[in-house]
Amino acid sequence: MEVMIGLEIHVQLNTDAKLFCTCKTDYGSAQPNSNICPICAGQPGGKPMAVNGRAIRNALKIAAMVGAKPELEKPVFVQRKHYFYPDLPSGYQRTSKPLAKSGRFNGIGIWEVHFEEDPGRYELKEGFVDYNRSGIPLAEIVTAPDMRSPQDARDFLGKLEHYLRYFDLIKDEVGNMRADSNVSINGGARVEIKNINSFSNVFDALSFEIKRQQTQVEQGMPIVQETRHFDENSGITVRMRKKETADDYRYVPDPDIPPVMISKEEWHDVEKEVAELPDARAERLAEQYKINKDDASVLVIEKEFADAYESAVGKFEAQRFANWMRGPLRRQLNYQNLSFRKSGLTAERISELYGLFSSGSITDKASDQILIKMLGDVKTKPSEIAKSSGLMKSADSAALKDACMKAVKENEKAVSDFKAGNQKSLFFLVGKVMQETKGTFDAKEIAETLKGIIG
Amino acid sequence: MGTHTQRISSLLEKIKAEDKGVGAFIELYEKEALARAQELDSGREPGRLEGKAIAIKNNIARKGKRLTCGSKMLERYTAPYDAAVVERIEAEGGIIIGSVNLDEFACGSDTTSSAIMRTKNPLDHDYVPGGSSGGSAASVAAGFADIALGSDTGGSIRCPASFCGVVGMKPTYGLVPRYGLSDMAMSLDQIGPLARNVADAKLMLSVIAGSDERDQTTSSSPKAVDLTFKGKPSIAIPKEFLEGADERIASCFHSLVEKLRGEGYKVSEISIPELEHAIPIYYLTVFAEFSSAMQKYDGLRYGEILEEGVSELRGDRFGLEVKRRVLLGTFITTKEYQDAWYGKTLKARAVLKKAVDTALSKHDLLLGPTMGVLPWKIGEKMSNPLEMYLADILTVPANLAGIPAGSVPFGKVGKFRPGMQVLGGRYSDAKVFALMEEIERLDAWKS
Repeated sequence: MEVMIGLEIHVQLNTDAKLFCTCKTDYGSAQPNSNICPICAGQPGGKPMAVNGRAIRNALKIAAMVGAKPELEKPVFVQRKHYFYPDLPSGYQRTSKPLAKSGRFNGIGIWEVHFEEDPGRYELKEGFVDYNRSGIPLAEIVTAPDMRSPQDARDFLGKLEHYLRYFDLIKDEVGNMRADSNVSINGGARVEIKNINSFSNVFDALSFEIKRQQTQVEQGMPIVQETRHFDENSGITVRMRKKETADDYRYVPDPDIPPVMISKEEWHDVEKEVAELPDARAERLAEQYKINKDDASVLVIEKEFADAYESAVGKFEAQRFANWMRGPLRRQLNYQNLSFRKSGLTAERISELYGLFSSGSITDKASDQILIKMLGDVKTKPSEIAKSSGLMKSADSAALKDACMKAVKENEKAVSDFKAGNQKSLFFLVGKVMQETKGTFDAKEIAETLKGIIG
Repeated sequence: MGTHTQRISSLLEKIKAEDKGVGAFIELYEKEALARAQELDSGREPGRLEGKAIAIKNNIARKGKRLTCGSKMLERYTAPYDAAVVERIEAEGGIIIGSVNLDEFACGSDTTSSAIMRTKNPLDHDYVPGGSSGGSAASVAAGFADIALGSDTGGSIRCPASFCGVVGMKPTYGLVPRYGLSDMAMSLDQIGPLARNVADAKLMLSVIAGSDERDQTTSSSPKAVDLTFKGKPSIAIPKEFLEGADERIASCFHSLVEKLRGEGYKVSEISIPELEHAIPIYYLTVFAEFSSAMQKYDGLRYGEILEEGVSELRGDRFGLEVKRRVLLGTFITTKEYQDAWYGKTLKARAVLKKAVDTALSKHDLLLGPTMGVLPWKIGEKMSNPLEMYLADILTVPANLAGIPAGSVPFGKVGKFRPGMQVLGGRYSDAKVFALMEEIERLDAWKS
């Protein structure tokens, strides 16, 4: 069976302002309809402002990332796509002609990339519309029908999402990535599945749809060209409308918006900014610094993360530094659900912290604690945090012995368990001492001292 | 009571007494206007428009006030913001006294398509005031307002100015920000002044002109505009402007030309054959853009929501002319017919624009009558829409070419004072005003 899958992918571009007005793009946490104005709410008389330059820039970076080329110094018109829906305040969506065409990404052909505005958010059940989302800039990436299985689509989208995040091109919000999928089997009619609201649902929707079409063929029933909707809860696709009544969006150029021009200089800058793609960079890092490929691929999770590694690695043993960044540092960021770029950490600051740790001035435990403090305090130097919090490694063996004695005295059961051969009890005691001494002694050192006391 | 307060309150009294007969005002902003006048009397915020009583066409947004656009669809809609021109008027001490009537969504030439009320011609109440800015022209002609704002897509300022015997100016496209002006045909719409004399119209344009980031079509315009012009512009009369014109109007026009020649103006006669196609180009452009502009009125957002579906609601709330334009516009922009109709229209518009530009590269200004017809009686409205569209034949070329065009009364036909139209190249609004001032000076019938 031959499967052909093509995707139309919508991603929300990471900008502070909307595409045609200066309203904030915050819609996840903001009060409904608080970030709106006459322009993005489509009030009579509202007119679009100049196209947000940052949105165009991000869309161009996406184009460069997927290898698509713009026509330079040629007008790109913004069009009006007409349809009626409660979330569309003007009754049309503003969507640009292709910004760039003919690329290739992860082995899949790219037809074009353009920008457009997001409609509002319509809660069908409550009959409620929130226009905070209206006017948020989107990029649409249209692929050739080159994918042969749901897994191909999953791989493609996974890589795309990684790259988009690496370059910080998309908004960090639920619903920031959506896709329409076109799928046909054995050269049959093309079925479109509309508005799949997350990348992970694309795999499920396609898997179901291919099986449905297969069953249809086996039963001798024709596959009709139609538009279907993926129902997330039941995991099935359902018919929205047949294609005979083809949509006619009556595209016309928007008279209110002068066309966008991409200059040679701008495109040159964009190409430079995305010249090295994450996979290529991971390979280079592995080779150049002789570190594990696995670790290198974690370093390229975000551009700024890899940049930080490269700007500090000269001072340290490369593999160990990579381990630390991938391990303790990444772990703390993940706990707090932070990206490196939003954490307030800098290459300098993590380099200083790691320096304290690798030179033995602080323990790993202390380094974790300092890191946590650094995530809330972007100014104080790590060494000062260490000192003021009493986290510098201590050489005071008397203090260590006191703490160990105290632990032994207060935890008789653990001591006797250890004596009976339970190693875990020793870890428990070590933990108690660490707590008492605020992580200023090595675990190993504590264990030795404890063993000495217990005998 | 200070002088501004005194004047405004007496104007408001006059309107309350006399507007029943004229029907210019949809809403009077009595409280706000008086408060504003008192503010000015207390010496605050003087400006170039200080104390002028201003009426605004009700397709221009005034915060907290009804923005009906003359339509049942927006009968209860309140604008949540001020138009850019409103901000500018207020900043210069102008007093906005109320909103005035118009054809529904500015679609019409006599203000009879308004779903809100009937407006009569102050010169003779049996006659239409012209349109679509009929309320604007009537409010000025009746002495209710010093200056009114109108909008002009194909003559909607100049036609009623000519019918009511006042001055009207459609500025260069892109000179006045449209932010806050409800769309009719976006590539043609322009806000402009109507006044009892050229000086007031010029003053108002100097206040409202200049680029604004909320209207990108103003992006190539200067921030502020100098409207002074010295010298004697050369004048050309396209013979097409007089074809089919009412003889009485033509005779006023010929006496004007004689007078101008007597004043030493060089007046040549030329021909721009492309003008013959102006009407179809204009209306097809309007249909296409207007049908897009009307998309937002789906009955879900404005006014009371009915139980019926979108199409029933649009059927009920839109008037006949609006529906005609939406349907034709939808038709010519469908995938199947777009190339044959809208695509060709855009090409033809470019050809016409080039022909007008060429004429204006050889001559400073073009001159002709504003309207080829005199005001018609209310109710006598031509039942054939094509005939109605043809009445705009002299005014639409300026919009299609994006150039400034003003209308100033000259001569007299019965009770009426036909307007003469002056057209100039893009951004030559000052030159257009200069000739309008001359015509005003030479007009022996002015009161």
